Amino acid sequence: MTFHPTRSQPPRRRRARRRTALAAASVAVAVAGLVLSGCAGSGGDGRVKLDFFQFKGEALEDFDRIIADFEAENPDIDVVQNQVADADTLIRTLLVKDRTPDVITLNANGNFGRLAQAGVFYDFSDEPVLDTINPAVQEILADLGTYPDEVNGLGYVNNANGIIYNEDIFEEQGLEVPETWDELIEVCEKLEAAGITPFYGTLADSWTGLPSFNALGAYPAQGDFFDRMREQGADTGPDSAVSFSKDFAEAMDQQYELFSYTQDGYRGKTYDDGNAAFANGEVAMLMQGIWAVSPIKAVNPDIRAGIFPYPATDDPDDRLLVSGVDVVVTMGKHGPHQEEALRFIEYLFQKDVIEEFAASQNMVPSVEGAELSDDPAIQSVAPWFDEGRITGFIDHQIPPSIPLAAIDQEFLFTGDADAALATLDREWSKVAARTIPVTGE
Amino acid sequence: MTTLTQAVRTSSTGGTKRRRAARVRVEARRAPSAYYWMVWPAVIAFAAFHTLPVLIGVFFSFTNYAGYGAWNFVGFANYVNLFRDDRVLAAYGFSFLFAIVATILTNVLSLAIALGLNAKIRARNFWRGVYFVPYVLAILVIGYVFQFFFSNSLPKILSGIPIFRDNILTNPDWAWTAIVGLAVWQACAFSIIIYLSGLQTIPAELYEAASLDGARAGRQFWSITFPLISAFFTINIVLSLKGFLQVFDPIVALTNGGPGTSTESVTLLIFRGGFSGGEFAYQTANAVVFFIVITVVSLFQFRVLQRREADF
Repeated sequence: MTFHPTRSQPPRRRRARRRTALAAASVAVAVAGLVLSGCAGSGGDGRVKLDFFQFKGEALEDFDRIIADFEAENPDIDVVQNQVADADTLIRTLLVKDRTPDVITLNANGNFGRLAQAGVFYDFSDEPVLDTINPAVQEILADLGTYPDEVNGLGYVNNANGIIYNEDIFEEQGLEVPETWDELIEVCEKLEAAGITPFYGTLADSWTGLPSFNALGAYPAQGDFFDRMREQGADTGPDSAVSFSKDFAEAMDQQYELFSYTQDGYRGKTYDDGNAAFANGEVAMLMQGIWAVSPIKAVNPDIRAGIFPYPATDDPDDRLLVSGVDVVVTMGKHGPHQEEALRFIEYLFQKDVIEEFAASQNMVPSVEGAELSDDPAIQSVAPWFDEGRITGFIDHQIPPSIPLAAIDQEFLFTGDADAALATLDREWSKVAARTIPVTGE
Repeated sequence: MTTLTQAVRTSSTGGTKRRRAARVRVEARRAPSAYYWMVWPAVIAFAAFHTLPVLIGVFFSFTNYAGYGAWNFVGFANYVNLFRDDRVLAAYGFSFLFAIVATILTNVLSLAIALGLNAKIRARNFWRGVYFVPYVLAILVIGYVFQFFFSNSLPKILSGIPIFRDNILTNPDWAWTAIVGLAVWQACAFSIIIYLSGLQTIPAELYEAASLDGARAGRQFWSITFPLISAFFTINIVLSLKGFLQVFDPIVALTNGGPGTSTESVTLLIFRGGFSGGEFAYQTANAVVFFIVITVVSLFQFRVLQRREADF
């Protein structure tokens, strides 16, 4: 705001403008002050104020509705939803500052596992709500990491990572859902013979290689593969007892084989291109998960899409569906309002509440016996959850400083599985070597 | 005893008196105190927002701090691991390759354009404005425009050339050239301004005299123009190379380090590994090393280039 005498604008108008700017600024400050004071402490009317940390942007309105219903039933509790962007970073800063929110939802990824291991979350082992949840879901959570012998989170809704297929095309071509690897390849061959591209590849977005990597890699990773890898640490390599090079070669070959059935120019297409092409019936299948169903339906609401797990085995009974806990509910280990927070959590896990939320979010509810939405994609994966034949995402077990998506994308370009697996082994041992544990005093 | 100290005291006071007199004479030639009030805020702000964070960063590079929680001192372990990490070495290789190519291209292009903009052309100010526009636009905005251009427009326009047809951004061997294209396109604007201001310092009489002596345009450029703007050339080269070594936003906008890790620069690696990878201390050590490398490279350039600058 330096004064230029040569400027044509008359000084009086300038001053007037400055005054309005000042007024606007003071209004903004006042509003901010009101908001801030509204956030602090419990309300003056004796109601307990629960700070509800919520990470999922698209679930904002669903939770608003749930909170309104909950508050109507529990007039002594006031739940304040804080929907945040980049929740993983923010929750860490809040925990460091010892300002743990009363109720927390997070995506159950590797980051959640590390926080749980640090012992910052409540132990739900003795809570009755735990008994209502599908044990297979809790198993996925436990695999991510817990404070020893505790249950640090409650799985709320789950996604499913499988092959999305166009049911109309399958019916027209007289194809069945494949149950073994050979049947899957046969389906691809038949589709190609009929002039239909089996898969749509979208490798311009490097992460779109990961869903199939996770699903096919889940088979060799069964058992204690990653536990043994962590034990080996820096010694992982071609000579170690377990390693990517030793155990993942077949999964990589399978992934490469599936990508050979994609359309021309699959290297340059994006995730959005793939969803649009599938929605318009250009291809029969997508190597994606249930999360892609919403954007597909946004393009073509009438499409009939189902999901089946990657049949990477010869025995149909060995098939596994890869599922991640999309929303995990937890709370701080120590908090002033734990009793009220538990009441809110128990309300969240009531059947009708979770059913409505899962249907709206296109996810699978974790509570046993909860009804699924009648969306065909959800219905097609329901049996896997009922039978507990689900397993977690393996990329949650791989340290985030390993550029897994980039390595896998490069492999799908070059087809050199040995090089990619050797890179993974090398990165694993390097990260293990330079991760120096905190020793305390 | 007392006499001795007395003697020392008197002699010492005598000394300070003389020295003080000398100091007063020096202070008389110094600027009034008002100027100090202009300098101090900048010094304090610089120290608080730049020097101090750098020192804190250096401190944490000797720990195993994850960005939160507890930590220990680990000595030089982070630095040792850095030199063993082939991904870090690859990132340095990429950064230098990128920076050298982009610096050469930027300076050749912008010197040529500046010569044109300095000549008596029609609507000169309009053209000067046009060439400055890329500098005004936000890099991420242009980045996404360029990304659309490379992944959607070019494959259709140049469908006969395989590299462009398959989207050059997803080609591990050639994706870096697309990033060079974007970075040079934007960096030229600023270099042109510096070269233009340099060209305007050259008196027109020199060219008149040279043309009377029969010197053609090429000879005039190499014997008059280039030597006389060599100081501007030095600053442009040093600034470009420093800026391009730290390349970040064009990569984020175009390839995000991919395909694979083929376009991962040092800054991108520091950002990714440190923030999303949870290796805060390790990448802080990387940042310290990178800071030293850039300082050394810049000082070296200044020495080499300034030696061949023409004196006015």
